[in-house]
Amino acid sequence: MTENVSTAGAANAAQAPAEARGPRSRWGGRGLNVAIIVAAVVTVAGLVLWGVQLSGGMVQTGMRNLDSWGLYITMFMFLVGLSAGGLIISSVPKAFGMRGFGGISKVAVWTSICCTVLAIGFVVVDLGQPARLWELFAYSNLGSPLMWDILVLGTYLILSCVYLWAQLRAERGAMSHTALRVISVVALVCAVLVHSVTAWIFGLQQSHELWHTALLGPWFVSSALVCGTALVMVIVVALRKAGYMEVEQENLVKLAKMLGAFVCVDLYFFGCDLLTSAFLGGSGAEVVQMLVFGQLAPFFWIEIVGCAVCAVICFAPKLRTTPLLVVASILAIAGIFCKRVQLLVGGFQIPNLDLPGAVTSMTVTNWEAGMAGAYQGLVYWPTPLEFGVALGVVGLGALLLCLGLKFLPLKPAEGNE
Amino acid sequence: MAEQRLAMLIDTKRCIGCNSCAVACKIENNLPNNIWWNRVLAVGGDHLDSPEGEYPNLKMHNITLACQHCENPACVKVCPVGATYKDPETGVVRQDYDKCIGCRMCMAACPYTGVRSFNWEEPQYHLDFAVGDRDVAAHQKHVVEKCTFCWHRLAKGLAPACIEVCSARARYFGDLNDPSSEVSQLIREREYKQLLPERGTNPSVYYLV
Repeated sequence: MTENVSTAGAANAAQAPAEARGPRSRWGGRGLNVAIIVAAVVTVAGLVLWGVQLSGGMVQTGMRNLDSWGLYITMFMFLVGLSAGGLIISSVPKAFGMRGFGGISKVAVWTSICCTVLAIGFVVVDLGQPARLWELFAYSNLGSPLMWDILVLGTYLILSCVYLWAQLRAERGAMSHTALRVISVVALVCAVLVHSVTAWIFGLQQSHELWHTALLGPWFVSSALVCGTALVMVIVVALRKAGYMEVEQENLVKLAKMLGAFVCVDLYFFGCDLLTSAFLGGSGAEVVQMLVFGQLAPFFWIEIVGCAVCAVICFAPKLRTTPLLVVASILAIAGIFCKRVQLLVGGFQIPNLDLPGAVTSMTVTNWEAGMAGAYQGLVYWPTPLEFGVALGVVGLGALLLCLGLKFLPLKPAEGNE
Repeated sequence: MAEQRLAMLIDTKRCIGCNSCAVACKIENNLPNNIWWNRVLAVGGDHLDSPEGEYPNLKMHNITLACQHCENPACVKVCPVGATYKDPETGVVRQDYDKCIGCRMCMAACPYTGVRSFNWEEPQYHLDFAVGDRDVAAHQKHVVEKCTFCWHRLAKGLAPACIEVCSARARYFGDLNDPSSEVSQLIREREYKQLLPERGTNPSVYYLV
């Protein structure tokens, strides 16, 4: 049972609640060891597939010249969101002196660290020439949003580790609470920044109408808060069930109210963006049409309906039971994932110059039917290899999460709220 | 010497869509299979020589499309390692294969759909010997490449290969910063358009209309 809890934690926690009801085993016992082994095997399999991708060429992925990013960058965006959210949940109560979340704090930071490592991992597997990564530091073009992101993400990872260490020190009384509070404020600023910068990788590009909006930064932050809160909630419920920590139902309700508020803000931003695009008609309306009724419609409606249902569950006191809260969290996470897919694939779905010409197997994913055929459905869909590599990267995150739960003192300290 | 702004003019009234420029580019630069830096796009439809409009009011119209060598290139701004850069002397947007880390940020940033291409596999060739100019940089797997304005030919004082072969004499090449150049004169005299001017990139490829 611990196995399910831990792997699911990193793999967006989809199965955690359903399978967490198995027979109780002693915490940190055989279940966790099995989970560690399974995660390690998945990680190694992913590494092998990555080797296949590098040696045989990225021609084995679904990506092509007209849709040059795919599942990996989608997952990168998604995981940066999860990580920023986790850290924000952990640091906000400390920074503003709110009570009641002390117990969750360390697990949230550890989840956030795992997600950050995953996000970096997804950028690395997306690179054509990972052996040239050192160039990022030798020839840095500080004007590139991608460079900003690498710097901020690196800083963020180090800072998260420092923050976790500071919390452990503070528990032992070796650090003053003022110092911890200062570190939590710095971590909070960095968490907001890391998501804004990720948004700017897309939002500063005038090449794709869907991406080019000033709203993208704040919107990424709100989405990060939604899925970060939801992930923390799922993990906390699962860990409570597994006997790892005690969490008052009252605190869970606080978390749920926050989730509901974040979901509403996120939906509001989406509404603003859709209205601004569609109002004038023309090419903006074309983008909205494609999102709402066109090829990307399933992702749009899962997001809208999922987030709306999540908000209802979080706000209606009668519905705030533990199983429903988990359902709400999973809906929110799924909704935000759909949003990532929408943003990435949607960006490529409308070409600026859609004149048909020499279409080859390198031009676009479904090239056989020409330009018109390629844009009929979704312009991009991942290949099995991409799913395999992605699963491997997620396996690495699960491995880290499990190792942390096993070896790090993440349990709430005695006397902590 | 003053800074140049090398530019290409394509007379769409003269272009007959024969694809000679695309083929010349492919041979000159020894492009791998399935890679085209310069493509001839038919405005009318899916196939070569597709006419525009309804019978009997038909028109044939082609746009040859390659890197626009923008004065304000989106790709250069986003490249994290400076593998794509604007040559300060000539204004040509260049690509350093040895530096490129294959992140494809430039492809996402470029508004001109499909002018940048990535070698998704180890470059393969139909011929078992290299063609074109021997000074062309060797193609590499998993890096981005594109039209170089035939940099190797510019170095020898020659115009790009596509200019030389155009059978309809629809292509012109020269320095826009030199008011007496042929391209500067044509820009003054003829009506022209640039692709996607609203994106603020100010391309150095002009289409005479």
